[in-house]
Amino acid sequence: MTATLTPAERPGADDAAPPTIAVTGLSVRYGGFYAIKDLTTALPGGEIVGVIGPNGAGKSTLLNAISGFTPLTEGTITLGERDLGTASTAQRVRAGLVRGFQTVRLMERESVLTNVLVGTQRLPQPDPVSQLFALPRQWRARRRDLAAAMAVLDLLGLGADAERRVDELPFASRRLVEVARVLVSEPSVILLDEPAAGLDRSGRRDLASVLVRVHRDHPSTLVVVEHDVDLVKSLCSHVIALASGALVCSGTPAEVFGDPRVQQAYFGRILDAPA
Amino acid sequence: MSAGVSDRMTAAPGQAAPARPRKSTRSVAVRTAVIVVLVAAPPLIFSGYWLFVAAQVLAFGIATLGLEILYGRTGQLSLAHASFMGVGAYTGYVLSQHGYGVPAQLGAVLVVALVTGAIVAVPTLRLSGLRLALVTLAVGELFAWLLTNTTGLTGGTQGAAVAPVVIGSLDSSVPLYAYLIALVPAALATLLAVHLGRTQLGRRMLLVRDSETAARSVGVAIARTKIIAFLLSAVFAGFAGWLYSVVAGFISPADFNLFASVYLFVAVILGGAGSVVGAWLGAAYVVFMPQLFTLMGQPNLYPLIGGAILAVVALLIPDGMVGLARRLLTRAQRRRVTATEVAA
Amino acid sequence: MQGASNGNDLLQVIFSGLVTGCLYAVVLLGVLIVFQVSKSMNFAYGQVGMVATLGGWFGYSVLGLPVWLALLIGVVLAVLVNSVIDFAAIRRIPEGRPGLDLVVTLGIFLLLTAVMQQIVDANSHTFLSLGADTHRQVGGVVVSVNDGLVIGLTVAVVCVARLLLTRTTLGTSLRASAEDATIAESAGVNVRRLRTGTWAVAGLLAAVAGILVASRLAVDAFYMTPVLIKAFIAGMIGGLDRFWPPLIVAVLLGVYESCVVFLFGANAGTPAVFLLIIIALALMPKRFVNERNEVRA
Repeated sequence: MTATLTPAERPGADDAAPPTIAVTGLSVRYGGFYAIKDLTTALPGGEIVGVIGPNGAGKSTLLNAISGFTPLTEGTITLGERDLGTASTAQRVRAGLVRGFQTVRLMERESVLTNVLVGTQRLPQPDPVSQLFALPRQWRARRRDLAAAMAVLDLLGLGADAERRVDELPFASRRLVEVARVLVSEPSVILLDEPAAGLDRSGRRDLASVLVRVHRDHPSTLVVVEHDVDLVKSLCSHVIALASGALVCSGTPAEVFGDPRVQQAYFGRILDAPA
Repeated sequence: MSAGVSDRMTAAPGQAAPARPRKSTRSVAVRTAVIVVLVAAPPLIFSGYWLFVAAQVLAFGIATLGLEILYGRTGQLSLAHASFMGVGAYTGYVLSQHGYGVPAQLGAVLVVALVTGAIVAVPTLRLSGLRLALVTLAVGELFAWLLTNTTGLTGGTQGAAVAPVVIGSLDSSVPLYAYLIALVPAALATLLAVHLGRTQLGRRMLLVRDSETAARSVGVAIARTKIIAFLLSAVFAGFAGWLYSVVAGFISPADFNLFASVYLFVAVILGGAGSVVGAWLGAAYVVFMPQLFTLMGQPNLYPLIGGAILAVVALLIPDGMVGLARRLLTRAQRRRVTATEVAA
Repeated sequence: MQGASNGNDLLQVIFSGLVTGCLYAVVLLGVLIVFQVSKSMNFAYGQVGMVATLGGWFGYSVLGLPVWLALLIGVVLAVLVNSVIDFAAIRRIPEGRPGLDLVVTLGIFLLLTAVMQQIVDANSHTFLSLGADTHRQVGGVVVSVNDGLVIGLTVAVVCVARLLLTRTTLGTSLRASAEDATIAESAGVNVRRLRTGTWAVAGLLAAVAGILVASRLAVDAFYMTPVLIKAFIAGMIGGLDRFWPPLIVAVLLGVYESCVVFLFGANAGTPAVFLLIIIALALMPKRFVNERNEVRA
């Protein structure tokens, strides 16, 4: 897919290379429990970054911290040159950082199209009064949003379901609708929390190829939290392995999966766990 | 897959072919015909008193649309909606008592509705569920108290007779003209409500209703969205109240109390929260039914059935009459399809 | 009361507010135990008490039943009605539809009101006085037998509830299900039966409160609504998931209301109470206001 949106329509993208996310000395504490303790790592810009680790490793917490859903106890997170600090989620979204959720959060009783269209919030929208009364401007924005939404739905193979209600869809499609909502505004940083959870083998393969294509056509820093080792190997160019809220190691997939500590911390437990 | 769309984009930049399949011209024509018939029916069937009642349906429809935006789309439960109607009605009444004409009244209704809407909206931003319901209930009670304690200005519990409005040669004390006068704002409100559903603002509201977390994740300003919903609903209710006062010719605090607010809820839920057509069905129900029950000599039956409907519909038919009709329609279509398949 | 000094007047005012506050507290107690297990609110709760008293009044003064039997029937009715509300409506509310319990119980509120108006009538009736006209001077304050009854019953009911909650296995399982119903279930607590039980007990409390309120005022189809609203207000301010704070707020609310009426006249009661709730909920620190956040982002 060639980029559907012109650069001017994509806030935070600037045409500059997708930004690197640098995490320095990060700690996140819930009550007396450290979900992440003193984590320093970088999510290199423009790459597809896999975050792996057993349950409770702090993967989702890292995503929450980067996207502003969890306050930092200590440390800093920078997006390119910019210190995210206490930036609100809305400010992060405007800076080009959009996330998905582990549990699908959709408007169940609305159409697929509506669910995806809501993701265009990040694009410059007319102010509320203009949306209601300045009709030509509103129509122009609506045409642009519709084109972007249909493009991403077609890409994910959901084009034919655009008018269907979300609660009529099978689970795998609903998961894709959420991915579509994230992708529709072509963010420069994309955070996905187990996007393949609940998909079958071919669904996972399709999703991986779509993500690769999106990433090729529209460069971004694509961060994927994932359990499926094969998926991570085939998809990611950089992998970060976490365990108990700390960094085990990071590097290319080959390096990380070859590391004995990862073998022990990750495969050791995942093999015991009921799949 | 996406190549098609992209090609179209590059082929005709700026005026992309409609990505969404357009409704067929036939269904648009059918819809228009149905609307025209429904709008033209009351003056042809009714005369006198019942035409006034039909005009009241138009006024209540505007109010119901307002609550539909606030509750049906944004998920904010307000028990002060009838009070906002009262704000509009009494603003118009007080101004007309001081000799101001319709434009000044309407301007004042807009301003007062926006101001009171903001006053209620801002402190309720952090509240949801029962807390929101209680605070809005408190607002409603305060408004009722204000009315009963400003007898000199508002007529107090005794109510007040509202002078008819004359626009050009249309006098609102003539049933047909009252209906025609009410038709204009009702049409505007309906168009606005339909249009809202196609804007990003309208979608923001839906997302705030369904998942504030998801709303944050795509960058929706939740507080701002809620305030706008509150303001819009207050303006709808304000104009509706003004219109009601003009059509009915008499207002009293009982028209705008807690029960009136609850009945507006009945209208929204019965018709189907989130549906403009549903709001109109609901409004027709809450205006016509009490009249019919009174006609049958059983005025007590109305609240009884109203209560049962609110509970049963909210529990069993979450999408109201509109949703029910749609479900039945698709089922019938499916059956027809299978029937033809079997025949073939 | 006439001829008494100003200080005594104030004491009297505070005392009568205290008694009213006790009534709010009994109603609130019913709201609290239901909220603990079911996490839902019942707008029709006041009308459950109304069913007991208006039904009871109808039984003894129109049907000519003995008073005790009529009241007993009323109380049983209240328990039944409250249980049916849970069984037929609240339990069937689908997951993930917040606020629906309010809409549904608003409907039941209308329904119960209309049914009782249909069966009895829409007028106001004097109820059994339960000693409201027998006065005694206690420490400069006029106390009626009814006042004593209210305070005594309130203290008894609240203490029994507290003991049940903290000292019995029943209380432990109740608190466990309040914390997390799924975990309690897996620990062997019969959450369903517990839930049915709390709604029945709440119905009983509504009936008791309804009878006490009616004995001091009068009975009609709406007389419990202001009481319920004030109990809700106290619950909101004190916190629905706690025990003592909301109950104390309920009593204080009665005193506050009574003092405002004494100082500014009967007309000031309504705005004073409703302004209080608006200001309290609008200005309270956020952690007191948030009911439950979405657990996991």
